[in-house]
Amino acid sequence: MKLVGITSCPNGIAHTYMAAENLNKAAKEKGIDIKVETQGSIGVENELTEEDIESADGVVIAADKTVEKSRFEGKPVLEVASSDAIRRADELLAQFENKEVATYSERSGKEKAKEKIEEDKAKKKKKQNPVYRHLMNGVSYMIPFVVVGGLLIAISLSLGGEPTEDGLAIPEGTFWSAINQLGGTAFNFMVPILAGFIAMSIADRPGLAPGMIGGFIANDGSFYGSEAGAGFIGGILAGFLAGYIAKWIKEVKVPEMIQPIMPILIIPILASLAVGLIFIYVLGAPIAGLMEAMTNGLEGMEGGSRILLGIILGAMISFDMGGPFNKVAFLFGAALITQGQPEVMGAIAAAICTPPLGMGLASLLFKKKFEKDEREAGKAAVAMGLVGITEGAIPLAAADPFRVIPSIMAGGMTAGAIAMLGGVADHVPHGGPVVAVFGAIDNVIMFFIAIVIGTIVTALLANVLKKPVVEGS
Amino acid sequence: MEIDTLVQEDAVSVALKSTSRAEALEEMVDLLPASALQDKNQCLEDIQKREQEGSTGIGFGFAIPHGKSNGVQQAAIAIGKTEEGLEWESLDGKPVEVIFLIAVPEENAGDDHLKILQQLSRKMMDETFRDSLKGADTKKQIVDIVSKI
Repeated sequence: MKLVGITSCPNGIAHTYMAAENLNKAAKEKGIDIKVETQGSIGVENELTEEDIESADGVVIAADKTVEKSRFEGKPVLEVASSDAIRRADELLAQFENKEVATYSERSGKEKAKEKIEEDKAKKKKKQNPVYRHLMNGVSYMIPFVVVGGLLIAISLSLGGEPTEDGLAIPEGTFWSAINQLGGTAFNFMVPILAGFIAMSIADRPGLAPGMIGGFIANDGSFYGSEAGAGFIGGILAGFLAGYIAKWIKEVKVPEMIQPIMPILIIPILASLAVGLIFIYVLGAPIAGLMEAMTNGLEGMEGGSRILLGIILGAMISFDMGGPFNKVAFLFGAALITQGQPEVMGAIAAAICTPPLGMGLASLLFKKKFEKDEREAGKAAVAMGLVGITEGAIPLAAADPFRVIPSIMAGGMTAGAIAMLGGVADHVPHGGPVVAVFGAIDNVIMFFIAIVIGTIVTALLANVLKKPVVEGS
Repeated sequence: MEIDTLVQEDAVSVALKSTSRAEALEEMVDLLPASALQDKNQCLEDIQKREQEGSTGIGFGFAIPHGKSNGVQQAAIAIGKTEEGLEWESLDGKPVEVIFLIAVPEENAGDDHLKILQQLSRKMMDETFRDSLKGADTKKQIVDIVSKI
């Protein structure tokens, strides 16, 4: 008999290798031929080739993290924790000898194979809610794009930007303009990557393409006649839609002949079509309509209570960070600068930077509430906050939206209200402390007071609402 | 890099004073050479955190608490033995007599030390290796056994 195996553990220092060693030893005693791939902190070693898998009679996965399984389609797959391989490798191998291991199939066998190990994993599953796990998977792949994009844009704006009527502009053809474009490119990948890897976490590899395509469409309003895309919230929606649609198609029973092309052809195409068309024809119009309604609503508030306006704008700016609410508020403020009311932009400029500054501060102060990835993203968020890139907070918000979004909205509302009260004005359509550095702010002291208080409110509320991290995976 | 750069005699104790898992972790982090650590508390905290995720008691009377930590500057290992046997929520429920505490820096400066730890982990599965460690009663013997990997 020939088997292949994969071992992996949270830190990738010890258990991965102990499990591999024990599987090798137990197999040797039984006269079983085994090759074990280790996915540890050194990276993947002893990688299984297609031939290895092809010729194997079964697959044993001893891992405490999710292992990509689509390459084992049609093989008996036994999934256990790394500790099981350390403790009872013998028994695991005996299960293959006695033909007790269920065949894995992307289509339906998955559930069966899982039942067998349900007991072993029941504890862990309870600990971590699957929705959170899918979100975190998307976020962890998105973070590098946010960091690269945000920091390049931040550097190019602060070193090469000039305040103009259209915001902080970088003269075309300059070196900093090229850097800025590079950063912009990274930002464009942000939402598609988030959506793609959420979907992949739900439906394995067949979910990736539908998720990324859906995320791209969600993020680009031109597909559905809207001035702004649906932002990262739209991306999360697209990712879950794509993932669950792909997973659902997987579970449909199809004739044997079609099975091999399901994961690479049928599922991705159908799921991509479904998600894309849902956005274009079903969700698009309401998003565009919502933007128009909000714009009209804000225009109706002119001449009303300034503080209320500041609160509303602060909430909108921080709610979806680049999505429709944010865009409407920003364009409204920008338009009023030219109409001689720069105070509105002043409130917006303060609220623009409190989400990344506040969440960055929270991740520095309250480490237990954040995954390691999130803490790294938090540091980058501070830098982005300083130059008014609200998107810096997206990784932290996307990982835990129901707790983080209320926190950043509260901070944004506070900052908006204080800036309005303090008569802060901003003559350039851009936000964050950088605008003050460029001398475009009137009443600089109140501007900074608004930012500092908004930041602190965000961080404290995030600490109150967020739960401690359960498991670093 | 050889394993003896990771284990020094000073970082070995053949008679730990601790009577519990928590105490043993503290005592053993104290054994680590000062030059390897940047922030002892941070290192301890990260090792405790890993321990909470799942016991590192691998059975056979062995435990390998470990952690990647910003508090660690250079990878290092401390080895401790205890006559009493400590409760460790081990995989096989047996008390722990030999403890390998492994501290690794968060940022990898090359993966030489990881390869050594990999060899060490694999070696833990070897009964003769484990028995010879259980039988060793001086620091030097222990370092010698481990250096032979």
